Amino acid sequence: MTAPAASTSRPTFSWLRVRTVVRRHNYVLWRSPERWFDIIIFPLFDVLLWGSLGAFVAQENDVSRASTPYLLAGIMVFHILFQSQIAVSTGFMEETWSRNLLNMMTTPLREIEYVVGLAAYGFIKLAAAMTMVSVTAFALYRFGLGEVGWGLVPIAGLLVVIGWSMAMMVVGMLLRFGQSAQILAWATTFLILAISGVFNPVEAIPGVLQPIARNLPTTHVFTAARALLDGRPMPWGELGQGAIGAVVFAALAVAFVTHMLATFRKRGYVTRYS
Amino acid sequence: MGTVLHAQGLVKSFAKVRAVDGIDLSIGMGERVGLLGPNGAGKTTTLLMLLGAITPDEGSISLAGHELPRGRSAAMSEVAFVAGYLPLPERLRVREALSLFAGFYGMDRRTGDAAVAAGLERFGVTHLADRMCMELSSGQRTLVGIVKAVLCKPILLVLDEPTASLDPDVAYRVRQGLLDVAAEDGTSLLVTSHNMIEVERLCTRVVFLAGGRVVADGSPTEVAQAFGHGDLEGVFLHLAGTVIGEDQLMEVGPLPDEEVRS
Repeated sequence: MTAPAASTSRPTFSWLRVRTVVRRHNYVLWRSPERWFDIIIFPLFDVLLWGSLGAFVAQENDVSRASTPYLLAGIMVFHILFQSQIAVSTGFMEETWSRNLLNMMTTPLREIEYVVGLAAYGFIKLAAAMTMVSVTAFALYRFGLGEVGWGLVPIAGLLVVIGWSMAMMVVGMLLRFGQSAQILAWATTFLILAISGVFNPVEAIPGVLQPIARNLPTTHVFTAARALLDGRPMPWGELGQGAIGAVVFAALAVAFVTHMLATFRKRGYVTRYS
Repeated sequence: MGTVLHAQGLVKSFAKVRAVDGIDLSIGMGERVGLLGPNGAGKTTTLLMLLGAITPDEGSISLAGHELPRGRSAAMSEVAFVAGYLPLPERLRVREALSLFAGFYGMDRRTGDAAVAAGLERFGVTHLADRMCMELSSGQRTLVGIVKAVLCKPILLVLDEPTASLDPDVAYRVRQGLLDVAAEDGTSLLVTSHNMIEVERLCTRVVFLAGGRVVADGSPTEVAQAFGHGDLEGVFLHLAGTVIGEDQLMEVGPLPDEEVRS
């Protein structure tokens, strides 16, 4: 009995398998009412909270920049980051909740196909969530993100890349530390909300945190969004710094999750989920 | 006879415990092999390494003609896995879950749905198609798991405790289904089980592990005779009763006249 010569063919990328991942998560969304919290309820509450706060500030001091448009634009742009991140993170968590990880790992599905499928489905959820915040903000406060102008396109693009990178970091932590790391999926974006100056300039952040804030790509992207809202020209400098930071962060995230996946296979952590 | 699996020198340690200690295993086309041994013998670790889910510390694996880990995706399009303890995605209907796995095996929607319908009919579980996976009993889950596994017409079907905790009548159906798949499709089987009677009925060859090593390899009758027992149950009890360590392994193996191989 002799073994056949081992194949050395390159692994092939399958869009069919990517589409199947999208289909899998579409089923889950329609069968799981609680999943709509992320894309309907949280955005709705955020618009209500920050819109009302802005309206109140505007009533008290109508020259303040911290009025409704400023806060609403901040939270709406923040939701691009949040939705990109949470869609991929919770998509992976779904496999752990349903103990489906070993099932998936014993099919031809490749890791890159799975991640691309999750990210693609994340786009659909992002579109649903942004529709929700946009409609709510316009209906309740007569505010539309269109006020930011076409500059919103690169800003949104950078936030999506950063959101996916954050999700890769979360997935890496889940692979390494198990389900106890799930809290990071929500905690990391709210940490970014606090120290990236979503609503305020970096100078308003406590001094000890300012060096950290200035080195976050999100800070530059949110600063660029505020500049556009103020009617200033496209802040290419801020966008450029944000883009460089996003690329570096994405590279670090891919390296991290690849390393964690190797550790996951090496230490046999798949048995945690089966 | 060509091989569907060839593993050589597999070693795996977790912390300071050596779970697998130099296992060589080859499976030929159409062979039905039982991978047996007491708890902690290294069966599941070995299976998961063979499937590419765990990386071995040492050794090489060629699965369906593809070298792991690089060829894992290609290999898994011809190899399937079923475990009695592994549920299908709970919030999906059976038909939907199986259709997804057909997609992962590279079938478009129409081909996949046809394969799912045929698979459900083959195993007599068409009536479960619209049930939610979370509502299935363990026996139904195992049968649907086998339908999932044979969607890709695998050349090797790997089963970890497929009939654990099943009623005898359901276990019989599962066993019969597996024998049909092996006979009709020429699929090789690699099965772990603690039910020795089942293994004797299902497998043409058994490989006993103890302490992470292969201590016996041959037909059920040959292995039982080599250990001086009438059946595999006796061999199992013999091995389970042995405290596994270097000295004890010398007691257990190697078998008389080298290893008994089919």
